[in-house]
Amino acid sequence: MLTVVLFFLFFSLFLYVLLAGADFGGGIIELFSSSKNQEKTKQTIYRVMGPIWEANHIWIIILIVILWIGFPQYFNIFVVYLHIPITLMLLGITIRGLAFIFRHYDAVKGRSQGSYNALFKLGSILSPLFLGVIFGGLVGGNINLFSENHNLSFKEIYIDGWFNVFSVLIGVFYIALCAFIASNFLIGEADDEDELNLYRKKASYSTIILVFIGLVILAYGYFNEIDFVIDFIENKYSIIAVAISGIVLIPLWKMIKLKRKAWARILAGVQVLLVVSAAMLAHFPDVIITSTKEISILDGVAPDSVIQVLGIALLIGGAIILPGLYHLMKSFQLIKLFK
Amino acid sequence: MENLEAARLQMAITLIFHIVFACIGMVMPFFMVISHYKWLKTRKEIYLKLTKAWQRGVAIFFVTGAVSGTALSFELGLLWPEFMKHAGPIIGMPFSLEGAAFFVEAIALGFYLYGWKKLPEKFHWFTGVIIGISGVMSGILVVAANGWMNSPSGFTYENGVFSDINPIEAMLNGAWFTQALHMTLAAFVATGFAVAGIHAYQVYKGRNVELHKKAFRIAIIFAAVAALLQPISGDISAKDVAERQPAKLAALEAHYETEKGAPLYIGGIVDEEKQEVTHKIEIPKALSFLAFGDFDAEVKGLNDFPEDEQPPVAIVHYAFQIMVGIGTLLAIVGLFYLLSLKWKKWQNHRKFWLLFTLMAPLGYIALEAGWIVTEVGRQPWIIYQVMKTKDAVTPMPGIFYSLITYTGMYIVLTCVVSWLLARQIKVLNQNEA
Repeated sequence: MLTVVLFFLFFSLFLYVLLAGADFGGGIIELFSSSKNQEKTKQTIYRVMGPIWEANHIWIIILIVILWIGFPQYFNIFVVYLHIPITLMLLGITIRGLAFIFRHYDAVKGRSQGSYNALFKLGSILSPLFLGVIFGGLVGGNINLFSENHNLSFKEIYIDGWFNVFSVLIGVFYIALCAFIASNFLIGEADDEDELNLYRKKASYSTIILVFIGLVILAYGYFNEIDFVIDFIENKYSIIAVAISGIVLIPLWKMIKLKRKAWARILAGVQVLLVVSAAMLAHFPDVIITSTKEISILDGVAPDSVIQVLGIALLIGGAIILPGLYHLMKSFQLIKLFK
Repeated sequence: MENLEAARLQMAITLIFHIVFACIGMVMPFFMVISHYKWLKTRKEIYLKLTKAWQRGVAIFFVTGAVSGTALSFELGLLWPEFMKHAGPIIGMPFSLEGAAFFVEAIALGFYLYGWKKLPEKFHWFTGVIIGISGVMSGILVVAANGWMNSPSGFTYENGVFSDINPIEAMLNGAWFTQALHMTLAAFVATGFAVAGIHAYQVYKGRNVELHKKAFRIAIIFAAVAALLQPISGDISAKDVAERQPAKLAALEAHYETEKGAPLYIGGIVDEEKQEVTHKIEIPKALSFLAFGDFDAEVKGLNDFPEDEQPPVAIVHYAFQIMVGIGTLLAIVGLFYLLSLKWKKWQNHRKFWLLFTLMAPLGYIALEAGWIVTEVGRQPWIIYQVMKTKDAVTPMPGIFYSLITYTGMYIVLTCVVSWLLARQIKVLNQNEA
């Protein structure tokens, strides 16, 4: 049953990174579009993402609930030492939710739309930035546990763990990944040649930036001897995953050229899956790295009776939710496999 | 401000706001699908218009509720890491099921909002019903988790170690049913009166009267029936608390000394220093009867509990008075509405609509007061007689700043939502004129 629980944990993480990422990415692309194209992009995003918008953001709740039920010790370190970036991320998510409500449910379409758009873009950058910073904090090897040293200052315990170059780089990487996902999603939705070219351009820029930042992270980590990066490079599974994700770029570009949008989307999804897997495989199950030691997610895992029940609940929940979600996406033509 | 106080205040403020968003999200879909049903039956445009207006309300509150719910699911850990470390696995069952129910709600909402003219009519309507049912399920499950904090079960606790965890037993703890029943009814009372009140105001002002009267009728019938049932559920809850949490009962009645045939205090001013209640109305032996069904039963006073296990008295007593007072008033007003169905001419008076306008906020005030009773009344415990709130709080100093951030965030969220709803109603009326 532990495997089932871990599967759902990983699965929700993947779907959150992908679907919320596509959503964040929409805002990021809007930010980097000329004012003429912004309106068009905005409407396309709404048409594509609208029906599943609510569902996209629930994956993070599922993720967090699985963590606290099944892996309470891990969750404890997460919420105590990364309190500040988590709060900042929540702030980003809230700003974004607010702007989203405004943009779509304000009965009066007036000048105020401008400020909603600004808020939306701000939230679209802040949320993925701090999500990345949180991940960087977990694995960056900068967390100082106060149980090991009682003389640490506030800054050493609650700030140094996440406020550093490595974490910020991971944050920027996730921003680029979001833009990559969104632009590849949008390509399939373009109405005319102009729009198509616009999204293609965004897709190629974001791919270049993504690969570049990825390499910067590896180089920075390697020269600064960050354990996570070194293990990442030395772990054959992560390297294979990264290599495949590089190779997949080629068919992805081909499918885009041939306008096979279903395949383009699947391949973009596979890309994300590979990136997330590579990051997880590099260190699993030691997914927290502090300044002194590695902490396994399986340390202090909940008792068997809890894991059993949680696994069953997830299987039942999954059996209800996943077909529902699939039909929702299909009904509104987000999945066009059979057409 | 001390860290513990700041953390408690932040939790309280977050919950006070979240409860409103969540309850509206739970109850409004039912109003919406009834109006939708009437549209399908009668094909009167006005019902379609009303359904779509309420649909926007549901969508706005769902997104707001989802955002504040996301924040809340993190806050539990951010503020109370020690609590979550031990309680998380034990009460995980209702939370994971709640996650599933919430997800179903989101999927159904996607179908409903975007399904007009795209889905078969009956299926489309049915997805609306699912939104309501899964919303109520989520509410019940979250309350079950809170019930566990009042009535912990499903584990063995020895020397600070939790073992023999049985998540199902924890979910079906002794308090879950009474609390869930009370809360579900409260959600219908509060939202019903609030929605009915908003539409009553429009009728009172003579704006778009036909539509707002129809809206009022749908909302008020839920509110009236739930308000009449609520005192029964309240009585069950009181007896439950009397048996399980005698200190809470003593606090909500501001009862310091143990006595047989205890009187019921209505109102009054609590002096915590002198341990007395002045300016109250006293009904002899009534408390013993209400709590235990026996006029001579012994009711334990606060002084029988160790000083460090006594909840704050004044706030709990006042909140309880507010809840019961408003509850009684709303039951009477609910009955008044049902009678007005027989004596139809009452509804022709403008004062009829003014009365219901004034009722609009009361249900929510009572609901918040009720949560203050149950949460503050449980103090100093976070898990009743197992873990104290002060032992659960985060070690990180400076929670005061977090308190300010979250409070600001929720105030903005509330202003925004109220402003948007006002705009919705304005536009709705304009289109009619």
